[in-house]
Amino acid sequence: MAEPVWGPVHRDIVDLLADRPADVPAVVDHLTKLQDLLVRLPPLEESCPLADFNKLYLTITESVLNGLYDDRFSDPVFLSRLDVEFAARYFDAMRLWTDANPGTPRAWSCLFERMRGPDARPLPSAAAGVNAHINYDLPFALVTTFDSLESEPVDNTDQHRDYLEINDIFADKIPGLRRGYLDRWQLLIDMLNGDIDDWYQGELVEYTRDVAWRNAQRIWRCRHDPDAHECERTRLDENAARLGRLLLSPLGAFLQ
Amino acid sequence: MASDVDTAPLVGRADLVAAVRSALLDEVAQGSTAAVFLTGESGVGKTRLLREIGARLRDGGALVLTGTCLDIGDASPLHPLLQALRRFDGELTTSHARTSSAVRGLLQMFADETAGPDGAGALLERVSRGLHLIAEGRPLVLVLDDLQWVDRSTRQLLLYLLAGLGDLQLSVLAAVRAESLQGAHPLRRVLTELRRLRTVRVLDLAPLDRAGTEQLAAAVVGRPLSPEAAEQVWRRSGGNPFVVEELARDVRDGRDGLSDTLREIFLSRVDALPQHAHTVVHAVAAGVEPVEHWLLANVVRLPEDQLIEAVRAAVAHRLLVGADDGYRLRHRLVAEVLEHELLPAERAALHRRYAEALTAAPADLHQARLAHHWRLAGEPARALPAAVAAAKEAERLHGYAEAHRHWSTALQLAGATTGGPPETSRVTLLERAAEAAHHCGEHARALTLLEELAASDAGRPACGLHIQRARYLAAAGRSALAEAEYQRALDLADCTPAERATAAAHLAELLLHLGRYADAGHRAREALKLSAAVEGSTSEVVLASAALGFSEAYLEDPDAGLAVMRQALETAERAGRPEDVACAYLHLAELLTGPLNILEEGVVVARRGAERVAELGLGRTYETRLLAIATNGLFRVGQWAEAEKVVAAALRHRPSGADAVELLLARCRLSVGYGDIEAADRDLDAVATVLAGGGARHVLPLLTLRSGLAMWQGRHDLARQAVQRGLTESRSDDGAIVAALVWHGLRAEAEAHASRTVEVDQTAVRRLRGVAERVARRSAGAVRPVRSVVDGFLALCAAEVSRLDGSDPELWARSVAEWDRRNHPYPAAYSRLRQAEALLARRSRSATAAALLRQAYQVAQALGAVPLTSEIRTLAGRARVSLEERTGPAAAAAATGGADRDELAVLTAREREVLAAVAEGLTNREIGQRLFISERTIGVHVSHIFDKLQVRTRVQASAIFLRNRSS
Repeated sequence: MAEPVWGPVHRDIVDLLADRPADVPAVVDHLTKLQDLLVRLPPLEESCPLADFNKLYLTITESVLNGLYDDRFSDPVFLSRLDVEFAARYFDAMRLWTDANPGTPRAWSCLFERMRGPDARPLPSAAAGVNAHINYDLPFALVTTFDSLESEPVDNTDQHRDYLEINDIFADKIPGLRRGYLDRWQLLIDMLNGDIDDWYQGELVEYTRDVAWRNAQRIWRCRHDPDAHECERTRLDENAARLGRLLLSPLGAFLQ
Repeated sequence: MASDVDTAPLVGRADLVAAVRSALLDEVAQGSTAAVFLTGESGVGKTRLLREIGARLRDGGALVLTGTCLDIGDASPLHPLLQALRRFDGELTTSHARTSSAVRGLLQMFADETAGPDGAGALLERVSRGLHLIAEGRPLVLVLDDLQWVDRSTRQLLLYLLAGLGDLQLSVLAAVRAESLQGAHPLRRVLTELRRLRTVRVLDLAPLDRAGTEQLAAAVVGRPLSPEAAEQVWRRSGGNPFVVEELARDVRDGRDGLSDTLREIFLSRVDALPQHAHTVVHAVAAGVEPVEHWLLANVVRLPEDQLIEAVRAAVAHRLLVGADDGYRLRHRLVAEVLEHELLPAERAALHRRYAEALTAAPADLHQARLAHHWRLAGEPARALPAAVAAAKEAERLHGYAEAHRHWSTALQLAGATTGGPPETSRVTLLERAAEAAHHCGEHARALTLLEELAASDAGRPACGLHIQRARYLAAAGRSALAEAEYQRALDLADCTPAERATAAAHLAELLLHLGRYADAGHRAREALKLSAAVEGSTSEVVLASAALGFSEAYLEDPDAGLAVMRQALETAERAGRPEDVACAYLHLAELLTGPLNILEEGVVVARRGAERVAELGLGRTYETRLLAIATNGLFRVGQWAEAEKVVAAALRHRPSGADAVELLLARCRLSVGYGDIEAADRDLDAVATVLAGGGARHVLPLLTLRSGLAMWQGRHDLARQAVQRGLTESRSDDGAIVAALVWHGLRAEAEAHASRTVEVDQTAVRRLRGVAERVARRSAGAVRPVRSVVDGFLALCAAEVSRLDGSDPELWARSVAEWDRRNHPYPAAYSRLRQAEALLARRSRSATAAALLRQAYQVAQALGAVPLTSEIRTLAGRARVSLEERTGPAAAAAATGGADRDELAVLTAREREVLAAVAEGLTNREIGQRLFISERTIGVHVSHIFDKLQVRTRVQASAIFLRNRSS
């Protein structure tokens, strides 16, 4: 029998994932507990690639939570639901991976596969997680949130402004975590939000942090058409997975 | 060959089947609802389980209705339910004449349905009534397969019924393909919300384990597999039962199958089909399931015996299944596999034959299927009228989401054709599509369609377009743009006077919502002046008067506001449509109970209005809304027994959506006050179920009640969680609602501190105080009516904070004064209790404390507020304060020692009514029916009565009642 996916903390992680946080305070609580478990994963404790991402994500979600308490956003109902739905996708990916389900998004599995590898470096690992989460999960989380609030992704609305505010939090927190890497991180952030093809081929593309939003609008338009929707999903998954693998390759080490 | 079709045994699911059976049947309380959603990947055995569990439930005495959702994206509203009913009707034999006529009656109801105001809600009510008749007292189970393809109308129906609003004992068992939930599927969010309810289970079906895989394989082969073969089946199938079954069959038949995914299995099997069977399978794949035999015969054009032989072969190759109502592919993946096999021309030809056959003979889903097949046959001109008919059909059943999709298809088709009747002209289609999009909440799409309409119809009057655009923008919450559009309409020279009045009245309403009271008043006056000159503009008069009334009230000239609104009511009564009268009553009642805080009069107006609109035939919609206002008013002035009666009357209309949420919350507020935990929990779950459908933003009152309930149960940690969630999902401009929530949060911390059961969360306290300060700052700049609602709660907040550090009686006294001034006895009584507690803790002025406690006790007793009463009693007991002393006539009579003292004085009015019925010898259920409240609530009342009269049996209680009545 093979060793369980999450090694010595397998049981704890499975139990944790069985619970589905319903609000932002619960998401923060969940990520905190997850962090405590992930740092106990061998081979090198304190250096699990997923823990590097999780730590970053926890920091960011805490900032979002504080923003909600401090009345920083104009539509907190939208934002808190988005945050919960966004996090649910990360937990879903972990759950699928735990069950060895072939449906695990490839954007995520390329990071999960490296969990045992000794060569993963914290910075590219965190970046690969951010990549999967923003380039793959975020557009779908946006669409689900809008759908359940019977609203729509429209530019220049309160929701759009709140959404961009989150991007600022991401931008704030990421360089703050590793002083001295700011320029590279900036480059990375710009890249993360772009389409890998465009970036890779070095074409002149206008990079904005709005790509996930644009993708959400694209999905929104075809959300009633299962085939087209699945097509979009696969496209996003493949793009994110390619960028993720690149980040985790020796090339990604330049960030370190 | 035939044995090959036999189903393999169900392996490894026995526990699941038993658990689901009991969750859906045995554990469901009388009159309650339950649901189980099975999710799992393709081939994991969902459909099989539905069938298996359905049979068990039927054996258990349940009435089981089975339907399947369709993957043609433009299906018709409520299709799975209609299909289930038709199927059930087909199964009924003549011995069930009564059931059969009930089923036909319900089907006829769908056929007769016409579009109208509040049609969607009324339809839900009629469906639940029809199901009630069909069930004839048996538990009803709705089994739905492929729920990932469910239409929006069916989704809303399920949530309505599960929330208990249909007053129907119902269980739902549904299967969802897990792959579909990966993207942005709307069910994702719905299931996340429902998962938390006690009556709903979402079970993720895992593949079989190694032992289960071997057991299944052995059963198929007829003997245990060799270790190598077993290992191979396990490795290749990953425990997916469908794949296991097929691989095991290969092993048994000595075939060397190389396929180990569902897709490959089907592909290899299709390749092996005889030619005619091949044709049949392709034909069914292109059709809409189930494909009826006559239809298939028309499409494949084989002689009867050859057709039957071909069908048999397809069934034997395990690609097709046949049932009474027609043929289906064994798995939808077959259709996906086959899609790449046909040449486009072949596919088009198949669709053409379907369309031709269906044109000749109408069938279920007639228009939707015709449109589907003609479109794919490459015949837009013939598809167009069918798409239009399907859209109208969907609108008839209030399925605007589905209608919108048909209208959009029609538009595309119209682009590919020329000529045709005016009904299918581009302009008409754009108009209809835009309205349907607006109705189903696709605002951006509605606006885009409107732009196209403006561009393609140059002669169209601009004014109407501006007003329509403004309406869509306002519905989308884009107020600034909507305001500009109304302004543009008003600025246009060629606007008719009627249009001008409409624009001004709606603009006034919009400005009011934006809190710009002076501007709103100004616009409203303009609208009134404009509509005075236009015949038949009563609706505008009512709307503008309401805007003016509210703006005057906010700007502190309440009398002027009231006068305008009363005038509007008179105008409506004289000349208006029933809806105008109803709106006028609604606005007047809202004005009185809202910003003016003239509660008693507001309640009278609301109840009078409710009677009046019921006479006018608007019971379901406006009566319900007016009664909700009356209920909330009665709760606040402390007439709980009356409020309970009114809310029960309102719920008899089986309201849906926001109306239902409002009423359930009102009833829950009463239950929390009474301390009826079970009833309160049930209503909170019902509200959560309705809200899972999306849209409504009523979470804050829901969470406030949840935390209030948790506190009565001593669960301060749960109360804290509910408040935290609320704080992170609230906007600070909802002043009063946020203030109420913050008070609950601070109270939870204070109670935690006092009870020492849970540690005080200092961060939470700091945050709550921060939010309270923010609310205070905002309300300081607001107009008086807005401020006054907030002030009472802020007084409570300040006083609760002091409880964390030696409670300050002065702050509590201030809170008492606030609530007394507003005439809200319940929070006033609570504040008196705390003031007394604070005084006693300081060992000062114990006489004042005793008086406060007695006052609070009297109010709490009269309300029937059991948990508050018992807290008062506990404190009084500790402080040795006698609560009965000088508390009114009962005590006075007791003091004289006379035998004629009224022992019933301790009871509330409602409790006395219940006791009277108990003395008549009625059961709780009978009393519930007489007083229009639930059996459980009667039970709670009875136990309160026993408690207060200090008796243990109904006979003893009845004796006291009779003794006091005769004297």
